Amino acid sequence: MTATTSTSRIDASCRLPLFTLFGGAATWLVLSSVFSLVASLKFHAPAMFADQAWLSYGRAYPAWSHLLVYGFCVPAGLGVCLWLLARLGQVELARPLLITFFAKLWHLGVLVGLIAILAGQTTGYEWFELPRYAAVILFIAFVMITVWAFVTYSQRTVEALYPSQWFILAALFWFPWIFSTATLLLQFFPVRGVVQAAVNWWYVGNLLNVWLTLVGLASAFYLLPKLTGRPLHSYYLALFAFLTVILFGTWTGIPNHAALPAWMPALSSAASLLSLIPALAVATIVILTGRGTPVSRNGGPLCFTKLGAWALVLATVLLALSTSPGVARVTDYTWFTHGQTSLRIYGFFGMTMLGAIYHILPHVVGTNRIAAGRMRINFWLFMVGTVIFALPLMAGGIAQGLKLANPDVAFLDAAKAAMMGFRLSTLGELLLLAANLVFLFNIVSAIVSYYRVLCRSAYEEATEQLEPVGVKP
Amino acid sequence: MRSSAIVFLAAFIALSASWAGFVLAPQLQLGRAPLEKSLGTETLYPVARPGLAAQGAEVYTALGCVYCHSQQVGQDGVRCDIVLSEPGTNVLATLAALRSVDENLGKPETLANLPKVIKTVATVAAADAIVKPLRETGAKAGVKIVPTGSDISRGWGRRRTVAQDYAYDLPVQLGTRRAGPDLADVGARQPDIEWHLRHLYDPKSEVKDSTMPPYRFLFEERPAGKSDPADVLALPAGAAPAGKEIVKTDAARALAAYLVSLRTTDVPLQEAPFTPPPAPPAAPATNSAAQ
Amino acid sequence: MTDQPQTAISAGPEAEPTVTTTTVPMWLIVGTLVLLFLSAWYFDLHGAWFHAKVYPPYTSWANVNEFQPGDGGPDPNKGRPLYESNCALCHNSDGSGKPGQAPPLAGSEWVVTTGVNRLIRIPQVGLTGPIKVKGQDYNNLPSMAGMGATYTDEQLADVLNYIRNSWGNKAPFVTPEQVKKVRTDLGGRSQPYTPDELMKLPE
Repeated sequence: MTATTSTSRIDASCRLPLFTLFGGAATWLVLSSVFSLVASLKFHAPAMFADQAWLSYGRAYPAWSHLLVYGFCVPAGLGVCLWLLARLGQVELARPLLITFFAKLWHLGVLVGLIAILAGQTTGYEWFELPRYAAVILFIAFVMITVWAFVTYSQRTVEALYPSQWFILAALFWFPWIFSTATLLLQFFPVRGVVQAAVNWWYVGNLLNVWLTLVGLASAFYLLPKLTGRPLHSYYLALFAFLTVILFGTWTGIPNHAALPAWMPALSSAASLLSLIPALAVATIVILTGRGTPVSRNGGPLCFTKLGAWALVLATVLLALSTSPGVARVTDYTWFTHGQTSLRIYGFFGMTMLGAIYHILPHVVGTNRIAAGRMRINFWLFMVGTVIFALPLMAGGIAQGLKLANPDVAFLDAAKAAMMGFRLSTLGELLLLAANLVFLFNIVSAIVSYYRVLCRSAYEEATEQLEPVGVKP
Repeated sequence: MRSSAIVFLAAFIALSASWAGFVLAPQLQLGRAPLEKSLGTETLYPVARPGLAAQGAEVYTALGCVYCHSQQVGQDGVRCDIVLSEPGTNVLATLAALRSVDENLGKPETLANLPKVIKTVATVAAADAIVKPLRETGAKAGVKIVPTGSDISRGWGRRRTVAQDYAYDLPVQLGTRRAGPDLADVGARQPDIEWHLRHLYDPKSEVKDSTMPPYRFLFEERPAGKSDPADVLALPAGAAPAGKEIVKTDAARALAAYLVSLRTTDVPLQEAPFTPPPAPPAAPATNSAAQ
Repeated sequence: MTDQPQTAISAGPEAEPTVTTTTVPMWLIVGTLVLLFLSAWYFDLHGAWFHAKVYPPYTSWANVNEFQPGDGGPDPNKGRPLYESNCALCHNSDGSGKPGQAPPLAGSEWVVTTGVNRLIRIPQVGLTGPIKVKGQDYNNLPSMAGMGATYTDEQLADVLNYIRNSWGNKAPFVTPEQVKKVRTDLGGRSQPYTPDELMKLPE
């Protein structure tokens, strides 16, 4: 705590990397919503785009998941992590220009992956569709950003670690490991038969149930105390949540029905049950940290963050439920799992990231604040959209699963049982698209306003010098 | 947690444990296991797909069929049917043996319409205890091991699928959602390649109410009468646009060949036993693929 | 413990958040232990202890092997022709033996046994001297000849299985491996056993 750098200089050092990461993330988020709508429309009008291979369901759907995870989640999460590392360490971000370059490289990799998926060059592994040339780009970009994140961390002027930093360090360590394992063992030196499925599910479990959780909680554990003005409750509870998330979450992901020896799905189900422990810890932290503060309904960063944390608790409870053998018999293979995963990604991760970005961006931009009204519109659209997207899918999935489990019901009747919920979820997707457009608009206008101020001051500076010439006596 | 070293150590221990469990262990356990013979035969199982079907697997992957179709059959349990196929010469002794199993079985009606399942029990041991005295009377009786479960009742396969079934699949397309029916055994229930091609071109023409999108881009529209008749998709009159004919592309043909090659649960394995039917059943050329 | 700020990084509106040092609540620790126990119990029930070839619905490798086909193991009737041509002369087709001479096999305590170490030796090298079966004395004349040199392990196992599972007898199957092991133990002995000699051997 000797040479404390001024907050504004720290924020300024993050400016360019965050503009690139957040701007790109918002763009990909909108695009992913578009593809999710295209995929959904296939169930309303199957013959639509029947002559276009690149708009077929089997390509629009992976385009959605690819853009959502690699386009939005990772860059948004990285941006939030970088800013938190700089702020909590009270140090300027190391090599912001290099980070910006590699952030752009990351987005290029996402674009390459998207084109490859639409062109049919998918790997065929869920949540890991990008072919190896795109995967290598993403890996290099992530590792290089991580390197400078660690340099920033090691240069920190505040020695003591705040809980968020544990989560960030673990997340930065986690992603390269799981991503390189998946790339190497699925694409460069593919393993045989169902071992691919085991690696794929291990990767997805670690990506969705650990990486997203680590980053989302890092942000939540920072913003909850910060925005309520109360200390985080508490050091040990956060430590407990951290250890249980990484210990148990990392074993989740293998579905009960997998064609793998019984011990793997059994172990995964047990881990999903144990994931209730960090969820309970998070719920306790959220309640006790916010105790006594008025419930805010202004749709600001705090609303996003709080709701996001609760969505994590709900999604984890649903995960534990849906992997218990009795329930899994019904929910496996249905839209339920899609709804539950979407709840985790949109409801938890999306919410916490949007909240964090809305908190961070005004600091980084400088004087400008994002209009509270537009933030509120974003919040309500996103919240209602997520609910209408995820819940009907889950309800429809249960209806579908109950009929699937009964062999006397014809398959098509079972498939159609989910359609009511599915149609509602399309409405949710529409709202999410609207929300994401508002988000993109807010982000872009904040970035633009920064450059406008920059230009204006430069212009004024220039004209000031010119003034004596222009003024005629 | 005041030191970053401890954070990394915790993360390393947690992640390396699950890596060893779900990446390394499956590789050691399944990834290098030699193929084994299917039960009761001397042939190694499975065999690699023939050329066209192997190309079709690539089309299947590229089209993302896996997002709607799983390729794994589940199983809830297993039961043992006792099948009586011949009463033998000493009918009275056979009836006496049947009566000792079950009073109702010891009637002459039991011996009519053979072969048939006369009793279902839970274990092979229990079935053996019944079959043995029957055999001693000279009757021909056997135990039929029958996997049970909703997937199997739907006709999606004869047994559950296991690791060995997928030894040659790259990428393996297990799937986690069933917006459409499971395809692990689709070649067994619908072996007609032309059916699959017509179904790909227009699913509703083969399965009324189908929710599957048509894959028209796998076919080409050409002026009628210009192409080799073998390449033209046989459609009901009026289905093709006037003056045009629908020609199968190589991708469509490969995909259909792949679908027909999917017969994952044909043979019993030690880890997934069942009693196969004596001769391959005549495949029904109906709309059953969607059921 | 009360809510005490652990570290105060800086003051003012841009102050970074602080944490309290309250301990983890007891109910959470108890809940963790309960869930740990539940999941361990669940894994024990469904996990088949890491066996590579056990898939649901089977619960263990032994459970899988309960459902192996092949007519549910060896056919007891397989050894019947061999019995009829070799053994039935003295022991009768119905295993009743010859009163006073050849002991019965049906219901014999020498035949329906759990251990087969003694039983396998009899057809291997033969049996000589009086024997008591089911409370009756038999002079065992002429002495039973050994057939180990003539027949394979499989054939001997088949005929033993026929004897052990016919005429109301019911006993576990003898495997060719068990016959082979006894053959090795005999070490080339061809001299018939006496009942007393056999009784000294482990069952």
